[in-house]
Amino acid sequence: MIDFIDYLLGGISSGAIIALMALALVLVWRSTRVVNFAQLGQAMFTTYIALTVRELTGSWFLGLIIAMAAGLVVGVIVHFLVIRPVKRLDTSGAIIATFGVLIALEALAAMVWGGDPEAFPPPINNSGYEAFGRIWPFSPYDLLVLASVVFLVLALSVVFTRTNVGLAMRASAFNPEVARLSGVRVNRMLVRGWAIAGLVGAVAGVLVAPLSTLSPTSFDIFLVFAFVAAVIGGLDSLVGAVAFGIGTGLVIALVSGYSDSSNAPLVALVLLVLNLLFKPEGVFSHHKARAV
Amino acid sequence: MLRIDALSVNYGAVEALKNVSLDVPPGRVTAVIGANGAGKSTLMRTLAGLEKPLAGRVLFNDEDITGSKPEDIVRMGIALVPEGRSTIPDLTVAENLKLGGMWRTHAQRATSLTRVYALFPVLGERRHLGADTLSGGERQQLAIGRALMTGPQALLLDEPSLGLAPLIVTQILELVEHMARDSGLAVLLVEQNAATALRVAKTGIVLNLGEIVTSGPAREIAQDEELRHAYLGY
Repeated sequence: MIDFIDYLLGGISSGAIIALMALALVLVWRSTRVVNFAQLGQAMFTTYIALTVRELTGSWFLGLIIAMAAGLVVGVIVHFLVIRPVKRLDTSGAIIATFGVLIALEALAAMVWGGDPEAFPPPINNSGYEAFGRIWPFSPYDLLVLASVVFLVLALSVVFTRTNVGLAMRASAFNPEVARLSGVRVNRMLVRGWAIAGLVGAVAGVLVAPLSTLSPTSFDIFLVFAFVAAVIGGLDSLVGAVAFGIGTGLVIALVSGYSDSSNAPLVALVLLVLNLLFKPEGVFSHHKARAV
Repeated sequence: MLRIDALSVNYGAVEALKNVSLDVPPGRVTAVIGANGAGKSTLMRTLAGLEKPLAGRVLFNDEDITGSKPEDIVRMGIALVPEGRSTIPDLTVAENLKLGGMWRTHAQRATSLTRVYALFPVLGERRHLGADTLSGGERQQLAIGRALMTGPQALLLDEPSLGLAPLIVTQILELVEHMARDSGLAVLLVEQNAATALRVAKTGIVLNLGEIVTSGPAREIAQDEELRHAYLGY
């Protein structure tokens, strides 16, 4: 029983980060109906930028802020350079193009920063809290991660539900034609969706890096988990992405705890298959059916 | 106010509109009637900028707006209420209305909102509810309300009677007709339900297979039995 609690506690912060990554995928899907497989490549790239800023200035926080700004910019660049020209042809082409971006970003990062894993130490203590005579697998850094994710999700939900831009973005996602007929510049909203996704991904990258190391390909595995969480959540639901992101993190922690962490991707894929078999529209989806 | 000059539009491989010209003057309802596939929706979608014409021009207050984007056309003052479910069910009633005319000033939008709630009191009562909780007639009111929120000079109504009870259709159309007369709004109404449309319209235009068959005072067209049998099916 105490193992079970330990595993769950250990999975919370990675679950919260997977939730952010899934959120980034959903933001892009909602705006352009494209799964951006480059999302975590973008996050890897901006995390390297954060590492560089941190090495130059000594400030983790400044690194995070610059990475967020870079995330916005990279999101916009990928949208204009790759998606817009390809999307005009067809959607599956755009999805394949995002794989191209992923590979290009990984190659570019290897050229700039080298292919060897680099340490990205946590800004605050990452050893577990001590209580009731034992050490729990939940650290001050885990608390920082959790607080950051909660803050970002709340900020996003305020933007989406309380502001004009948020309303225009939601309307553009639900029904672009009605949005345009109402005077909304839908293309601009799509770009904003990519930009915000880039920012969210950048935060996820900076937060996840201390949990392992940073290398051009070290986030690849998270793409699998985030994709599974986003799809099960319904791919267009922000709530679904957060809920199943955290859920996926917990499941992975349990699987890794009771068996071996190398089984986690397999379990994630089994969950995905079960979801597609029994609830293909996703749990929180707005739409009745969808083609993946 | 709105002038359509020799407009031709292809819809896929089909010639949906052939050399169509008509005027939509302010302060009254102009009705375009015809059977399914006559090109009525294509006409509306082209006017709103959703389809690009092959030839011809659309003039609005003597300005050539042919080929402009939908989001620019609505900002110029032409609002389309498209056919069918043109509300967004995932948003609340108030959000659907707020969506219309976001580029306008706060004061302009507040005035329009008050007016919409006065015209359609049920929207005010249900403003915090999801649009998916509304009945068909209420949704059509919401769709018209959203269009009015953009502060239009010309209102394009595409088949508002679709799927609604006759009594509700008559109520909505009479409201629109009053609005046109009171505020100088130019209304272009496209309908398969010719009898109802011609009752509120001043001018009627009969469209068949993409071409204008005849046009004239709505009352005369409504009484022309030959026309009715040949093109309107009643």
